[in-house]
Amino acid sequence: MKHFKTLTLAAALAMMAAPALAAPETPAAAAQAKGEFVTAHVNGLVCDFCAQSIQKVFRKEDAVKGVHVDLDGGEIHISMKPGQTMDDAAIEALIRKSGYSLTSIDREPAE
Amino acid sequence: MPSKFLAAGLALAALAAPASARPVSYAGGWTVMQDNNGMYSSLLVHYSPTSTDSIGLLAERNWSMDATFTGLQYTRLAKRWNAPQSQGNLYLKLGAGAADAFDGGQKAAGFAGLSADWETRRVFVSYDVRARDYGFDQSVSHAARLGVAPYVAGFGDLHTWAMVQVENHPEADNPVQVTPLLRFFKGPLLMEAGYTLEEDRFLLNWIYRF
Repeated sequence: MKHFKTLTLAAALAMMAAPALAAPETPAAAAQAKGEFVTAHVNGLVCDFCAQSIQKVFRKEDAVKGVHVDLDGGEIHISMKPGQTMDDAAIEALIRKSGYSLTSIDREPAE
Repeated sequence: MPSKFLAAGLALAALAAPASARPVSYAGGWTVMQDNNGMYSSLLVHYSPTSTDSIGLLAERNWSMDATFTGLQYTRLAKRWNAPQSQGNLYLKLGAGAADAFDGGQKAAGFAGLSADWETRRVFVSYDVRARDYGFDQSVSHAARLGVAPYVAGFGDLHTWAMVQVENHPEADNPVQVTPLLRFFKGPLLMEAGYTLEEDRFLLNWIYRF
């Protein structure tokens, strides 16, 4: 009986805590929770052999889940891990480290 | 005696500019580049501490003349022009080491060079000039390339380029040498195969980045 009461109390507390964990989030927080998707528009992206450097550089970052290079669009697509993000300055620094020039950044929640 | 120096000079002049494709990698990147054209072989292993500098070990061997250069090569990306549909680069190259001539003598040796390239996804042009001082010989050589991609490939696909390389070695028997070649690359591996018309020699170059 004592164990049953303890179990019931724990279950009740867990149910009360659940709504708090699922509290409404800001759009930015929601995007981070799903894993943000960043599109970086860059200049100079014409050589596949050289653009391999982009994947090498971005994949070393803990926050990055995946990287795709679009030579046709001159874009780098970066998927962030859930709860992770990188600010524009950090992304620009990595693109410069890869040998390219950033022109603009778009951000959106992952599908 | 002068003919011996001349022969040594020609042998080392024939140690043409090593693979010039992307002599500087991304910051933290390593690159292995090897050139073979039937008459000489070269191997350059370099590391790029920044995206504008690389330092590497260079060894060049002329098989027919039994001459060798070994030393360090520093390459500086002096300027890069990144545009929406193109990229241009200007590199400065400096080398220092020792040259072993075919007669067994060893001399302090060095070279300085400039390389420029510009490319879109369809067209590639480059120019290299290198001045050497190997103690017993001083020489200058030039190389230019024009390339066209027959198709535009996406990221990660096999890329193919048809190129023609024109070299000028003023002291050589054939001062102007023309080499049609094909360049292929996929992922971190680049390979080139060609044939030098005047010399009846095959060319095989490769580059691997990691």
